[in-house]
Amino acid sequence: MKPLQMIVIFAALFFGSLNAQVSFERLQRALREPQNWLTYNGNLSSTHYSGLDQIKPANAAGLDLKWVWQAQSLEKFEATPLVVDGVMYVTEPPNTVAAIDARTGRPYWMYQHPMPETTYVCCGNVNRGLAILDNTLFLGTLDAYLVALDASTGRKKWQTKVEEYTHGYAVTVAPLVVKDKVVVGPAGGERGISGFLAAYDARTGKQVWRFNTIPHPGEPGNETWPGDSWKTGGGSVWVTGSYDPELNLIYWGIGNPGPDWNPAVRAGANLYADCVVAIDADTGKLRWYYQFTPNDEWDFDSVQVPVLADLTWKGKPRKVMLWGNRNGFFYVLDRTNGEFLLAKAFVKQTWAAGIDENGKPIKASGKSPSVGGTDVWPGVQGGTNWYAPSFSPRTRLFYLTAWEDYHTAYFTWDQSYEPGKSFTGGTARSPIPSIRREPFIKWGPEWGYGVVRALNPLTGEKVWEYKMRDVSDAGILTTASDLLFSGNREGYFFCLDARTGKELWKRYLGSQVAASPITYLVDGKQYVTIAAGHSLFTFGLPAGRAGAEAKR
Amino acid sequence: MNAYFFFLLFLTPVALLQAQHGSIAGTPFSSPEDVKAGAQSFRSQCAACHGLDASGGSNGPSLTTGTFKHGDSDEALFRTITKGVPGTPMVAFPLDGREVWQLIAFLRSVNIGKSAERAAGDPVKGSQIFANSGCLRCHTVGGAGGFAGPDLSEIGSRRSLEQLRSSVLDPDAEVSPDYWSLRARTRSGQTVAGRRMNEDMDSFQILEASGRLRSLMKSELASYEIVRTSPMPSFRGKLQPSEVEDLIAYLASLRAQNANAEEPVK
Repeated sequence: MKPLQMIVIFAALFFGSLNAQVSFERLQRALREPQNWLTYNGNLSSTHYSGLDQIKPANAAGLDLKWVWQAQSLEKFEATPLVVDGVMYVTEPPNTVAAIDARTGRPYWMYQHPMPETTYVCCGNVNRGLAILDNTLFLGTLDAYLVALDASTGRKKWQTKVEEYTHGYAVTVAPLVVKDKVVVGPAGGERGISGFLAAYDARTGKQVWRFNTIPHPGEPGNETWPGDSWKTGGGSVWVTGSYDPELNLIYWGIGNPGPDWNPAVRAGANLYADCVVAIDADTGKLRWYYQFTPNDEWDFDSVQVPVLADLTWKGKPRKVMLWGNRNGFFYVLDRTNGEFLLAKAFVKQTWAAGIDENGKPIKASGKSPSVGGTDVWPGVQGGTNWYAPSFSPRTRLFYLTAWEDYHTAYFTWDQSYEPGKSFTGGTARSPIPSIRREPFIKWGPEWGYGVVRALNPLTGEKVWEYKMRDVSDAGILTTASDLLFSGNREGYFFCLDARTGKELWKRYLGSQVAASPITYLVDGKQYVTIAAGHSLFTFGLPAGRAGAEAKR
Repeated sequence: MNAYFFFLLFLTPVALLQAQHGSIAGTPFSSPEDVKAGAQSFRSQCAACHGLDASGGSNGPSLTTGTFKHGDSDEALFRTITKGVPGTPMVAFPLDGREVWQLIAFLRSVNIGKSAERAAGDPVKGSQIFANSGCLRCHTVGGAGGFAGPDLSEIGSRRSLEQLRSSVLDPDAEVSPDYWSLRARTRSGQTVAGRRMNEDMDSFQILEASGRLRSLMKSELASYEIVRTSPMPSFRGKLQPSEVEDLIAYLASLRAQNANAEEPVK
């Protein structure tokens, strides 16, 4: 005979997963529940801003380590976690998901996606994170699947093949949930893929629409690709986009054209590589696009996070999009129609003589990749890259991590395409390694250095900067107490005053930060989490003080 | 003889036989004597991590499912054994080529996934019994169902017919620690219960009936108990013996799928 109590308990389990019901309504209003971090970029406008203010300039110096979660893998840890009502969900390389108690760091469950023997990714077995809708988590995989997991148990609900991974397609991006759909696209810009954005029914995994980021014959834009060059044109998707519910538009940054450094074989603008595309969320139809770098010759993926802000532009309220591009320019666009409003270089750049009044770059002469190598600023990792920038509605400043005075020698050659193999048509060489290879910094600062920069979005002018010794692959978090959190390749995680750039607190975590910080609140206490090296570090205020401060 | 040289020696025939990987006939040492020798090597070299019967142990997964994390082909198994898997406890084993092939022959012989072929019952009838007996209240198959009990989507790859029969007729005989539950009372008098997901010296992490994940510090608890029995009712006497066999045939047919077999929707 079973104890009656147990039968009652387990009979109740029949009613299934009623917890963590993250409706799309909640995702749309994520800023109203700052205790959680519900999407990759914190909210659908991707401001990477939190309304929490318990940790503030007056107490930030007391930040203390609360717990550490160590990944099972020793590969690059680029993930941004989600936090839903006290539970943290994080992806570890290659394609493992962990549900962790956000207060103590202890595990609830782990899901390990079965991996094929070989993956075909260019730059490490990375995964940048998850999306959630209702009680389902969505994971993209290196063998190019979209997987739905039950958030209570980690059990797989369904999986859908996105594309053929042996041809260089891989899903590293954190999916974006819009209404009842999950949107992802493939990485593989160095593998001769032909990219797309695809939306899947969140309940069944069935594909609802697909937008080809490299237009196929018969689709507008295909004429910007000579012959069959569109078939290997790249246009990868590897950083999560944004959504404006009023306009019902999804905004997404598209990767470089392929082959990266041999533009001669793809003469033309190469749409929609290096573009931001605005897509109707219901149909997948293109509403507008803006191309940052036509016929890109330097691997200037425009995969950066589209930051949506409402600004007073020349006396009138305007729905804009703020964009620090890998090509070294900061842009402001009208996000209702794609109208070009402003471009200003935020780091040293030599590839463009300027940007004309229509937003078209005027390419400088003699900067194309060559057989002997051509030095160009910014270098191949760009003036900035995939890590999150931030916009604070309080300071009205745009913050980004930048690589200043950094250049690369770009080489070109002819190369024929083979499925799954590297297809770059050249190479790029720089004294600063593209990824951190060892814990030493031995080059001189004249080769380039990292900065956190605060820009006035109305002018693109620098307001302040925080200089580092090495470059940085860390994103930025700002809070309602005007704090800014970021890290760098040197292994530091730091907190600055978002108004002035003054350093308030810093910790050495022993290995590179190549991720974006998040913040959340559990049981009345605010925490800040960052991935560094192979571990996830969570900081908070010393016990006792935080609660008292919160009540003031 | 150097194991790697042996590997090269057999690479070509292995490639030719790739189509029939999984069959013992695909390896160069696959006679019943080789399987026996492989079993011997397994006990001395592998059992400490993978369990005496290869069904998995504290430090290594089950090797009886017919699918292997680092490659299913004979060639992949040869590589995994001789080279190890970096970043995991699976080290390289300096065995000679014959020993490795005999180990592979042994592993092929303990493939539980094949047991469905020996099941006496009718899996189609079994699926109806499964659907009508309330099993999905607590178990999941193919993404649908409850989560109080194990996901049965691939149970046929993990459990033998005998193990399945025992679970259906005598659920308490073997309850995986994954399904032990916590019953506790907090210092404030609240009753807490749920599936125990994790326990350390200071805390419990549980899955409550509502689906909520909850973390409890032991210092917050006035008392607690770990319940090791199964809440599943026995089907002994509730199903005819032939129906039990049908149900087992159905469960045995729930096998690991090849994840990469589907085509993308264009």
